[in-house]
Amino acid sequence: MKKEIKIITKNWGRINPNQIEEYIAAGGYRALRKFVAEMSPQSVLEEIKTSGLCGRGGAGFPTGRKLECVASEKSKEKYFICNLDESEPGTYKDRSIVDNDPHMLLEGIIIGALAVGARKAFIYINGNYQKEIEILERAVEQAQEKDFIGENILGSKYGLEMELFAGAGAYICGEETALINSIEGNRGEPKARPPYPTQCGLFGQPTAINNAETITNIPWIIENGGKAYAKIGSKKSPGTKLFIVNGAVENPDVFEAPLGIKLVDLIGKYAGGIQAGKDFWFAQIGGSSGRLAMEKDLKLKLEYDCEAKIPLGSGAVLVVDKTADIHELLLSWTGFFRRESCGKCVPCREGTFRLWEIAKRLQDGEVSERDVAAIQDILWTLNNTTFCPLGKFAATAFSDALDNFRDEIYKISK
Amino acid sequence: MKIKINDQDIATKPGETIFQVCLRSGIKIPTLCGMKGIHEGVCRICVVECGGRLMTSCNTKVSEGMEIVTESEKISQARRINLELLWADHAGKCVTCKKNQRCELQNLATEQKIENFHFIPRKEEMTDHENLDLLKDNRSRVVVDEGNSCVSRTTELCVECRRCVNICPIKEFSFNNRAGDVVVGTPYEKPLDCIFCGQCVKNCPTGALTDKNDLDKIIGELDDLKKMAIALVDPAVLESVALEQPEIDSVGKLIGVLEALGFEKVFDLGFGMESALEKMAQAIKKSGKGNLMLSHCPSFNLLVDKYYPQFKDNILDVANPDELMAQAIKNGYAKQHKINPQDIVVISISSCVAKKKDRSGNLGYVLTVRELGRLIRQKNLKLAEIKSTGFGKDFAVKNESVKNMAHAGGAAEMLAKKTGGEYIAADGVPQIKNILRDLDKGRIRTKIIECMVCPGGCVNGGGQSRKF
Repeated sequence: MKKEIKIITKNWGRINPNQIEEYIAAGGYRALRKFVAEMSPQSVLEEIKTSGLCGRGGAGFPTGRKLECVASEKSKEKYFICNLDESEPGTYKDRSIVDNDPHMLLEGIIIGALAVGARKAFIYINGNYQKEIEILERAVEQAQEKDFIGENILGSKYGLEMELFAGAGAYICGEETALINSIEGNRGEPKARPPYPTQCGLFGQPTAINNAETITNIPWIIENGGKAYAKIGSKKSPGTKLFIVNGAVENPDVFEAPLGIKLVDLIGKYAGGIQAGKDFWFAQIGGSSGRLAMEKDLKLKLEYDCEAKIPLGSGAVLVVDKTADIHELLLSWTGFFRRESCGKCVPCREGTFRLWEIAKRLQDGEVSERDVAAIQDILWTLNNTTFCPLGKFAATAFSDALDNFRDEIYKISK
Repeated sequence: MKIKINDQDIATKPGETIFQVCLRSGIKIPTLCGMKGIHEGVCRICVVECGGRLMTSCNTKVSEGMEIVTESEKISQARRINLELLWADHAGKCVTCKKNQRCELQNLATEQKIENFHFIPRKEEMTDHENLDLLKDNRSRVVVDEGNSCVSRTTELCVECRRCVNICPIKEFSFNNRAGDVVVGTPYEKPLDCIFCGQCVKNCPTGALTDKNDLDKIIGELDDLKKMAIALVDPAVLESVALEQPEIDSVGKLIGVLEALGFEKVFDLGFGMESALEKMAQAIKKSGKGNLMLSHCPSFNLLVDKYYPQFKDNILDVANPDELMAQAIKNGYAKQHKINPQDIVVISISSCVAKKKDRSGNLGYVLTVRELGRLIRQKNLKLAEIKSTGFGKDFAVKNESVKNMAHAGGAAEMLAKKTGGEYIAADGVPQIKNILRDLDKGRIRTKIIECMVCPGGCVNGGGQSRKF
């Protein structure tokens, strides 16, 4: 195996997350100093664009382009938001970042915010992450003492205010417009787009919203240059990514691996392979909303590519072995979306509820002809007519399971 | 900008939505959640196809070169499934529903020819034991609110279209809970205690929000030969009564219909308006103070009571026209015609919902236009055969211009002429809020202030009927 490239995890386990001095001693805040001393916001945007960095939250939108959109808006007030509302089941990468190296995230936020011309940055954190909220509060305080946040950062003309905003742990609030609604004090529901948040976001001002993992890559890019970053990983989406491997593997954990890694390598080389005595059945890529990778898909490259058969999503990989009960899985997926739909649009509110109801009957073996027809209808309408992507997510895993294990699912039905 | 709709070239202006363009060009697109000016795209019924993708026509703006199809298999499939899902979340007690035949959900289901419903209703009261078993814990909680005298509310029939949430000027309603458990309700499900302008009732597509009244009791009183039922007709009612029953196209016809319903006498509310104006003019002259607020909008009185108690003393102490006229009937008229006042029931046909609240003993009932329509439908009147007549001889209106009071600013203008002062008029809660804020800061100094909660005044009141 080649020497591993570590970008996000380079300090993990080696520094104390509660001590800013240790991060600085490990080379931290060098990128910020570099930016303040010798770079302009435009050159930062250029570097990020050259790096080819794309959003790690799931959609994979090029970060450089997003930031440029916000930077080019002519508005006095602009906002930068770090999306830390990680609530996809089986995903805990952003949480691990905060647990191990909060200052790298802060450094990324500061550089990103200053590059787009924002004077206020928000960290929208999942309200269930109590420990992480404490870590971040302390980290922000320490960074303020060291003059990395506040008026005249490091004696320059740049100024930035940072606010930690704890949500109430709703899945939908990871969606940009719902997140904005939540910070504004409204109910966490998506808004119609356009206008996009980059033009008219938080409080009607241009807003850049990025996933925490995306932002954590920024300091490295600034320090080493966008070209160096673009050489890592796959051509379509350069860089490394945090993969969270769960389920029937020997060593479930968060791993940093270059994008474009094959699924089989991720399971075999990083996660220690399938647990002894168990057989691989399928893997779900990207949390509850992810698609299913069957045995024949093991050679697939994991990367952000809009034409990919299996989208990478948040990077969570759930390995399922043959002892698992598909009905229980269906119930768990549908139960999650039945709880987490915001209830705004009809197909998602009613569809997720009905799907869960039918999944319960499937488990009890009470499914009727009527239900079989209804499942098709619901999956179709979730896929085609919902207000925001959540409806589509709710249908993905269920439809994939139906395509692959139709017989197993209906086996015990009358 | 040019777009293609169903292979037909149509010129559009930038900023228009697909729905607006279609409406303008005579292409019908069904919708449930949208209403004038507010389109949230929640019901997903107004979908159209553009480049193979389904999108909601109500909140998608047109762009150059769009090719839109408004009817296809995909579209009708989407409409069918979403309507079925919605229907299963609705109690579907059509026959006994107050909104029967005036329900947009019912109309849509008829229009889209939905015959089979695949999902088990979860709000219906189940009698079948097998079905009850299937429902288990899936029944959603139904909130019934009958705690006030104006609006009755039941989430059993609610389809969560958010119209009331959007139209309510004081934001009384919101979504409670999440996902499949969503109910539209007041904060903490407290009984509704708002300003009762009735705009939510007017815009509700189903029977979730309805006028509160005991129509059976009213029918009983109308049929009771011992009792004398007197109708007061608010001139604002004529604005929309034809929408409820197209045959009623004039005042004369309306009076004829009311008489056929069992009203012994029908009077013009114009008389009440005249006496209310007279009393307000006297009060203004007597008071000599400035910034006096007219009291004929009961909703505004409630607004001040609830949110701006500092202005309570500014409101004139004059009852609304309906009350004044009922008083005159029960006292003068009854004595003159030697009728026991207890045998007289005064029923006001009005475009106002808030008038139902805090009535004195004189005014028996207030019927909105919608309730009048329901009464006519319940009685199965053959409207075509009813002849036009005129108002009763008593309580003649001296000056027809008094009916301007139903329009925003009308009363203030007339009073200003009478008393020789200046005035400010506002309609709609946002305008009222501005004026009251300015007043609080001392930025306004005038003689008369008229505030009407319904935008445009009573002609657009919460009790009016609505075009479907």
